Amino acid sequence: MAWHKPTSLTQAMQSLRLTTTLTKPSAQASRTTLNTLRPRTYATEAETIPAAAAPEINFGAFSQKPARIIPSSPSYFSGSPRFIDHVLKLEALQAKHAGLPTVATSEAPRMAWFKLPQFRDYVGEPVPMKKYKSLVKILQRLNRIQPDMVPEEVRKAVGAFLRPGNPYAVENIPRTVDENGRARGKGKRKESTAVVQLVEGEGEVLVNGKSLVDVFKRVHDRESALWALRCTQRLDKYNAWIRVQGGGVTGQAEAITLALGRALLLHEPGLKPVLRKAGAITVDARRVERKKPGHVKARKMPTWVKR
Amino acid sequence: MASSWCWNCLSRLRPTPRALLPPSATPRISSAPFHSTAVHYAQPAKKKGNSLTVVKHRQSTSLRRKKKKVADRGGRPPAVGERKALRKRIVLSNPNALEIEGMLELSPATMVDSRLRGTVLGLPVPMIDQLRAVQAFKPKQGWSIFRRPGTVLRRDTIEMGRLFEQISGEGDDAQKGKVVKKIITGMKGSGKTVHLLQAMAMGFLKKWAVITVPDARELVSGDTAYAAIEGSNPLQYVQPSATSALLTRTVDANRELLASLKVSQKHPTLKMLKPSSTLEDLAKLGFNDPAVSWPVFQALWTELTATAPAAGLEKDFKPRPPVLVAVDGLAHWMTESAYRSAEFKPIHAHDLAFVHHFLSLLKEGDSLKNGGLLLYATSASNNPNPKGLSIALDRLAARQAGISASSPEYPQPPAYSDADPRVLDLLQPAEKAVSPLELQTLGGLTRDEARGFMEYFARSGLLREIINEQWVSEKWSLSGGGIIGELEKLGRRVGPTASLSK
Repeated sequence: MAWHKPTSLTQAMQSLRLTTTLTKPSAQASRTTLNTLRPRTYATEAETIPAAAAPEINFGAFSQKPARIIPSSPSYFSGSPRFIDHVLKLEALQAKHAGLPTVATSEAPRMAWFKLPQFRDYVGEPVPMKKYKSLVKILQRLNRIQPDMVPEEVRKAVGAFLRPGNPYAVENIPRTVDENGRARGKGKRKESTAVVQLVEGEGEVLVNGKSLVDVFKRVHDRESALWALRCTQRLDKYNAWIRVQGGGVTGQAEAITLALGRALLLHEPGLKPVLRKAGAITVDARRVERKKPGHVKARKMPTWVKR
Repeated sequence: MASSWCWNCLSRLRPTPRALLPPSATPRISSAPFHSTAVHYAQPAKKKGNSLTVVKHRQSTSLRRKKKKVADRGGRPPAVGERKALRKRIVLSNPNALEIEGMLELSPATMVDSRLRGTVLGLPVPMIDQLRAVQAFKPKQGWSIFRRPGTVLRRDTIEMGRLFEQISGEGDDAQKGKVVKKIITGMKGSGKTVHLLQAMAMGFLKKWAVITVPDARELVSGDTAYAAIEGSNPLQYVQPSATSALLTRTVDANRELLASLKVSQKHPTLKMLKPSSTLEDLAKLGFNDPAVSWPVFQALWTELTATAPAAGLEKDFKPRPPVLVAVDGLAHWMTESAYRSAEFKPIHAHDLAFVHHFLSLLKEGDSLKNGGLLLYATSASNNPNPKGLSIALDRLAARQAGISASSPEYPQPPAYSDADPRVLDLLQPAEKAVSPLELQTLGGLTRDEARGFMEYFARSGLLREIINEQWVSEKWSLSGGGIIGELEKLGRRVGPTASLSK
């Protein structure tokens, strides 16, 4: 459904013009064919020489600013170009060095790859978990190349995906009983922190330089403080020197439980299953939940009042 | 609903339509001769009793709880002193507890026997009345869970027993007439008061004169009457009723001893005294008339500490026995009392004549001429915590450890502290004293003693555990190193932990 008034007018004019040229009488029949090929000119125009072809376009350097910038990455129009670039680069590397000998997974050096949020920060794109896993798979394959034969480019490429300060590079020094026979254990519960120095002895306990009875009035608290020794029946074989601070009575007692359990493990590592089962070395990481605005406490809502 | 079949003739009864039921006004046939009457006629069975489902109209239907009826006491509170009597009641026996076979009694022989260390010795039955009279038992010491009262023979007890032997002039190294002065401290529940009780029991066994102040606080809390002594400088105050109570206690407990001793000194203030009267008669003057109780107490004290009779009274003179003085709750005597002077200034506890008398015994000098033992115990739970006392006790401990007063390690009151100088002066250890003031700190029981103590619980039927080395050492640790009060709590506790430790 088109109103083609103006177009019809121009068409009519053009047809008029065409008819005029056609109707123009021509003397030479040989030139008629040429005349039809030559561009039409107006009668007032002077005759000119044919125009030269335009030079080839150099896409590297435009003389003028192009209307549209051509993206540097071919995967620009995919959702996550930088991630795909990484994948492509790694895949290329993997293909290139596929022939290199590999070691078993267990023997490959342990690497701390980026965690997903860190990787998202790194590439600046919302990479889904599954895709990142596929990237890590390639990284792991590259990591399995026999360590003394890893090419420099692979090492460099792989190194870019490691967490800063490779945690696995730091070797944990296993704690032991020191030269004076003391084992040191720390424990936390609620707001309390306890440090226990455990030595072999006859079951004497000092808490902050005071007797156990002075610090914990309730028998229950005393029992829970010494639970690690009690459940393993070691109460008469060690002396404990305890410092505890922060929190309340129960928190302090249970912080001591944990610290004592850990210190006891240094003396007797074989007790671990017993202590684990007795709950003496299980960390209770719960803390007080924060109060929220609009609530009376963490969860409690104010009383509903009609109007 | 009953079946509509007749079971005799197997004919179907015709059920009558409900609409044809006769109006309820017509008399009902209560029992049908034959079962031509349909079951529908029967009236619904009347429910028995007032069931809850009965809907009450014209009443509120909301839940109404019945208020508990308070036992009617005639609208009166308990009688005066009834509550206190209940609070202070001392039960020394429990017939439900098992009798322990072969339980030894405290006696002059057993109290020094180191082989019996760790065993629980029963207090001799005739002595219990005496101990009650001097208020040696306190309400919450757990006497009421055993068949008969008994105490553990611990190291400190045996040492004290030997001391009693020495002062009485028996045994190997007899030192008749020696005076030993001790301040007993220790943690809460470490057995200080029971240590005093054991001392009193030994005193009775050795036929000493036993004088006690079971609660030092009562003298300074402002509960008893007081009056200024005319002409004393600095002004001192007597407490007639407290003194009278002390005399009553002393007479009740030492009746036999006091009845056997005759008055040997002259007491011009006490006109009613005859030369032939005994010390019991003398003391009775005091508790019959509180107004003279203080002079009577002074007279009694001079009689007990007399070494020789006055002229003209030599006839029935017997040598006086050593004296045991036991005071519990010493810290209350080291502050200002609740009493006020005429100028409404607080009276210092040392200005009370009664308190002053007992505190002056601690000082160097001829306090107990016939020898004896002074035991002044502090309390950990009922403690006003006077600043001067803790420093004074630290000094005593330092002196006992061999630190001289001029050394820099000698404890000093902190700068600008308001430590009471009177307290510091009183307990100042003298340089070369004949009978210096000692500080005895009671600690926990040893493991062996703790075992003996816990076995006592088991044999009394309170504790159902197999008592072995391990169990005892576990309890020993839990009780803070054998603190006897805590051990008692663990021993009498019947709870989840008792079954857990199996």
